[in-house]
Amino acid sequence: MLALDIRNLNKKYSNFQLKDVSFQLEKGFIMGFIGANGAGKTTTIKSILNMLHLDGGEIRILGKNMAEHEIELKQEIGFAFGDIDFYTRSRIKTLTDIVKKFYDHWDDEAYRNYLRRFKLDEKKKIVELSSGMKVKYSLALALSHGAKLLILDEPTSGLDPVARDDLLDIFQELVVDGEISILFSTHITSDLEKCADYITFIADGRIVNSAEKEEFKETYRLLSGSDSQLNLVKNRLISYKTNSFGFTGLIHAIDFDPASGIKATTPSLEEIMIYHAKKEAANV
Amino acid sequence: MYNLMLKDLKLGVNPWFFAMPFMMGALMLVPDWLYLIVPMYFFWITVPNIFAQYRAQNDLLFTSMMPVTKPDMVKARIFVIVILELMHIGAAMIYGLFTIRLYPDLDYHFFAPHLGFWGLCFIMMAIYNLFLFPMFYKTAYKYGPAQLSAIAAAMVFAFAAQWTGLQSTYLSDRFNGSGSSHTAFQIAILAAGIVIFMAFTWIAYRISVRRFRQVEIR
Repeated sequence: MLALDIRNLNKKYSNFQLKDVSFQLEKGFIMGFIGANGAGKTTTIKSILNMLHLDGGEIRILGKNMAEHEIELKQEIGFAFGDIDFYTRSRIKTLTDIVKKFYDHWDDEAYRNYLRRFKLDEKKKIVELSSGMKVKYSLALALSHGAKLLILDEPTSGLDPVARDDLLDIFQELVVDGEISILFSTHITSDLEKCADYITFIADGRIVNSAEKEEFKETYRLLSGSDSQLNLVKNRLISYKTNSFGFTGLIHAIDFDPASGIKATTPSLEEIMIYHAKKEAANV
Repeated sequence: MYNLMLKDLKLGVNPWFFAMPFMMGALMLVPDWLYLIVPMYFFWITVPNIFAQYRAQNDLLFTSMMPVTKPDMVKARIFVIVILELMHIGAAMIYGLFTIRLYPDLDYHFFAPHLGFWGLCFIMMAIYNLFLFPMFYKTAYKYGPAQLSAIAAAMVFAFAAQWTGLQSTYLSDRFNGSGSSHTAFQIAILAAGIVIFMAFTWIAYRISVRRFRQVEIR
């Protein structure tokens, strides 16, 4: 069953456009949603939450159309925004007492367990929490109302490596039972190397690729070679950089001939993002 | 809607603003003052601060992510403001009763705090609501221009009403006089004021919802 089914989202602004954004997330998996700043990650997420008026496209969550079942589906969606704070001067207890009233399936016992597990002190004000603790608090709220789909926008941005690793472990634990699915937007690709099952890559408002993580990486090759070898593949490269030793460049695996003798490796997610960004910059 | 109202009251309204009606209402005890100014403290001080709080705490995004409808969001916000408006007028009315008994022989130059005066206060708040909410919900974010326009409109009405009262001895007598015929007139003005307050606030709600539906939460 699909937790999230996005088809042909289109949204046009004067200076930016989402163009035919489509991707699907299977229930019980973590999808990393990557792209440079301004690529359209947050616009896509806000479209999923029905916050924007789309020019076209359809969003289905847990099999239901979001536009038609928004209120019902929001009972099953949890969210965390890593870089936006809400009611920072309120205490955790005050905020929880208010938020829980909106959810039909709120489970107080589960909430207490998550507070203990995440070491959250109810008496603390939101402003007193570290960035990682704020995300954990959002997760505690989401999981206590029985959210089946977690939409996390840059949840690890601004966290130190230990806090990031801790959160990534939690994400992985959450999907183990196959009930919860996570869409996790970030530009910190190393986080996804650790925990994502699927990767969706957006650049300049278009989905470049959406696939299982290893399959995603295998669709590319990172080439390195001499200047003379560069001339052999230059036209097929997504983009490349030159240095005193020659070049390194990214190419689609199907465009690469292993017999050419050029050294090829599987690129990291970060390298894929960087070389695509370089292509976008060259096209501007 | 009830939960949204509770959220708006608990998170967005500093407890200080629930004490304000009783503090500012005490200005009604000043003898022969321009009493129409008393309820104005509400929209000079309380409302801008409340709207600033909602914006600073990213309330729009916070609320939009919860399972709530846009009409309910508007309705809850309007109810919160109306509750505070009624508190301000109600507290001032109580102080007004003391004023009338404290200074029984006072010759009022401006409107005395009789029933008709409170009708004018309701109309002033009705005009304020009619300008504030529909303008604010064009963006659900920018409250400055909406506040300025609503305050200006309410004050123009208040001072025009008071100026008319000062110019017309007949009106002044009707608003400030005692006796059964004056009282009947004043009750009619109060009733009309309450009806106008409800009607304008309802219209403000309908326009606000229509506009808010077009707003994108960016």
